[in-house]
Amino acid sequence: MSIRVEQIQKRFGDFTALDDINLDVQEGQLVGLLGPSGSGKTTLLRIIAGLEKADQGKVLFHGKDVTNLDVRKRKVGFVFQQYALFRHLTVADNVAFGLRMLPRKERPARSAIRQRVNELLDLVQLGHLAGRYPAQLSGGQKQRVALARALALKPDVLLLDEPFGALDAKVRKELRRWLRHLHEQISVTSIFVTHDQEEAMEVSDQVVVMSQGRIEQMASPLTVYEQPASRFVFDFLGHINALKGHYDGRSWQAGNAQLRLTTEGACPDGELTLYLRPHEADLSKTPSDSANLPVKLGARSVFGGTVTLELEALGWPAEVMEVELSRDAWQALNAQPGDTLFVHPRQLQTVTCDGNLGPRVTPA
Amino acid sequence: MHERPRHWHQWLLIMAAFAAVAILLVMPLALIFTEAFSQGWAMVQQNLTNPDMLGAIKLTLIVALITVPVNLLFGILLAWCVTRYEFRGRKLLSTLIDIPFAMSPVVAGLCYLVVYGAQSVVGNWFSGMGVQLMFALPGMVMVTVFVTCPYVARVLIPLMESQGQHEEEAAIILGASGWQAFWYVTLPKIRWALLYGVVLTNARAVGEFGAVSVVSGLIRGQTLTLPLLVQMWNQDYNTVGAFTAAGLLAAMALVTLLLKTVLEWATQHNTDNATEQKTEQDTP
Repeated sequence: MSIRVEQIQKRFGDFTALDDINLDVQEGQLVGLLGPSGSGKTTLLRIIAGLEKADQGKVLFHGKDVTNLDVRKRKVGFVFQQYALFRHLTVADNVAFGLRMLPRKERPARSAIRQRVNELLDLVQLGHLAGRYPAQLSGGQKQRVALARALALKPDVLLLDEPFGALDAKVRKELRRWLRHLHEQISVTSIFVTHDQEEAMEVSDQVVVMSQGRIEQMASPLTVYEQPASRFVFDFLGHINALKGHYDGRSWQAGNAQLRLTTEGACPDGELTLYLRPHEADLSKTPSDSANLPVKLGARSVFGGTVTLELEALGWPAEVMEVELSRDAWQALNAQPGDTLFVHPRQLQTVTCDGNLGPRVTPA
Repeated sequence: MHERPRHWHQWLLIMAAFAAVAILLVMPLALIFTEAFSQGWAMVQQNLTNPDMLGAIKLTLIVALITVPVNLLFGILLAWCVTRYEFRGRKLLSTLIDIPFAMSPVVAGLCYLVVYGAQSVVGNWFSGMGVQLMFALPGMVMVTVFVTCPYVARVLIPLMESQGQHEEEAAIILGASGWQAFWYVTLPKIRWALLYGVVLTNARAVGEFGAVSVVSGLIRGQTLTLPLLVQMWNQDYNTVGAFTAAGLLAAMALVTLLLKTVLEWATQHNTDNATEQKTEQDTP
C-alpha cells in the first residue's frame, strides 16, 4: 500500500515541528526517515500512524484520504523505540493482544489465534520464548516481540520509531540486517525513523533526510551520499573535515597551506570553505605541486580494514582533521605519531559564498 | 548505598531513634491494649457487644465502604487527567488535589457545615427534599471523602507519569478501545499502587476524627463512629470501654500497616522489573 503525505504542517506552541512536508512512498518500499533529534521525523511518523494530528495537510494510503481516520482503523503496525510491550503479559499474549481486541464477530477462534501467534513468533525466531515475560528478555528479543505484535493484524503499513535506538552497537547491526531480510520476506510498505546515518544507508530503499521540520532530500542511499542536495545533507551523512580559507581565482590558501584548483566560478574569489570526506584523501611525506597541506600525525585507531588518523594542521588554522586509509596504505606510509605528513585530497566539495553546495573539485 | 555504622556515636544515634520510637509510638499503643484488658476478658467482651459499640463499628464501616470506592474512582480520574492530557490549568488541578492534606480537618468540617448545613441554601433545598445532610450519615461521608480524596491520586500520579503512555498507544494501535486500553493495559500496570492507595484511604477514613466530629452532631447510638465513641466514653469515665474501642482502631491500624508493607514491597518489586527492562544488557 503506497503512502502519500501532502503539505503537512505541525506546530507545538511556537515551535514548528513540521513545515510543508510532502512525501511519496511506493508500495512495498522500506523508507528511512533520517535526521538529527528535533528534526520532526518522529512527529511525522506519528502523524502517518494517526497518533498525532497535523494542523494542516493530508495523509493518503493507497490514494485514499485517511487524515481523519481513527488510528484503530488505519491498519498500521507501530513499533516503539522503548518496545512498549505489555509488561504484565507473556510474549505470546503480547503478540495475541491485537487479535483478542477484535470485535467478537471478526475475532478468530482461540486455536486460530494460537496458531497465528506461533507463526509470528517463528517468523521473528522467538518461538521458544512464548511463555516468558518482557522483563525476562534482552533488548533485541523485546524489539522482535514488538515487531511480531505489530504484524499480528497484517497491517497495510509498518511504522518503526527508532526501532534499534535502545540497543547496543552489535545487536543493532544484526537486527537491522534481519529487518532488511524480513522486509524482503513480507514486503509490507514500511517507514522507519532513525538518527543513525549508517542504519538509514544500510536498511532503506529510499532515504528521507530531514532537518528542522523540513525534508532536505529524498532519494536512494547512493544518490543521497554521492549527490547531496544541500549542505546539510552533505554535513549530516558521515564525518567531514571543513577547511576554511581564501580563494584568489587559482588557488585556495589558509596560512601556509595551499591547494591549486578551479572552482568553475562557484566562488570567483574571497572566502571559500572546502569539505573533505575522511576517505577521499591520501597521505604522503612530501607535498605535491597541487596540494600542500602539512599536518602532524596524532592518534590513530585501527578497526577492521581501515585506519582512522587524527591529523593536526601545521601552520594553518583548521580543526583536527580525520582521514581514513586502507590498512595497506597505512603500512606503506610507515609513519609514527608526531611525524609531519601532507594531505592530498582526491576530491573536495566546495561551499559557495551564499552557503550552498558548489561543484566538487579536484586539486590539479 | 547504606553504610554500616562504625563509630560509637553512630550507634548512639540509632539507639536514640529506637528509644524515641518506643516512647512515642510503641508504648502508647501497648498501653491501649493493657488498659483495654485491665479488667479481664469478660469486660472486653461486654464492651464489644455494647449496642453503642456495635453501632459505632457499623457506622465506621459504612462510612469507609462508601468513601473508599468513591475516592478510588475519583483518584483514578484525577491521575488520568493530570498525567494523560496537557491542558491549561493542569498544574493548578494537581495543586488543588492537595487541599485536604494542607487543611485542618476541623476547618473542613466547619466549611461543610456552613455550605451544606440546614441554614444554607443547599442544605435547605435538600431538607425540603426530605434529606438531612449535616448531623447525619450523608454529611459524615461527605467530609470523610473530602479528607481522604488525595491519597489514591497522590500514589498514582508519580507512577503513571513515570510509566508513560506508550503501552496504551500500542494498545490503541492494535485496535483496543479507550476502555479496553484502560482495562487490559493501564489497570494491570497500576494495580499495586492502586491497592496501596485504597489501603491508605481506608485507614484514614476509619480513623478520621476532626471533620467527622464537627458534622456528626455526636448523637449517641446514631452518629458516633469509633473515634468519636472513644472520645465520648473517655469523657463518660468509661476508661476501659474507651480503650477497648481504641484498641479496635489500633488493631485496624496494625493490619493496615502490614498490608501497606506488603504492598510497598509488591510495588517496589514491580518497578524493579520495569527498570530492569530498561537498563539490562542487550544481547541478541
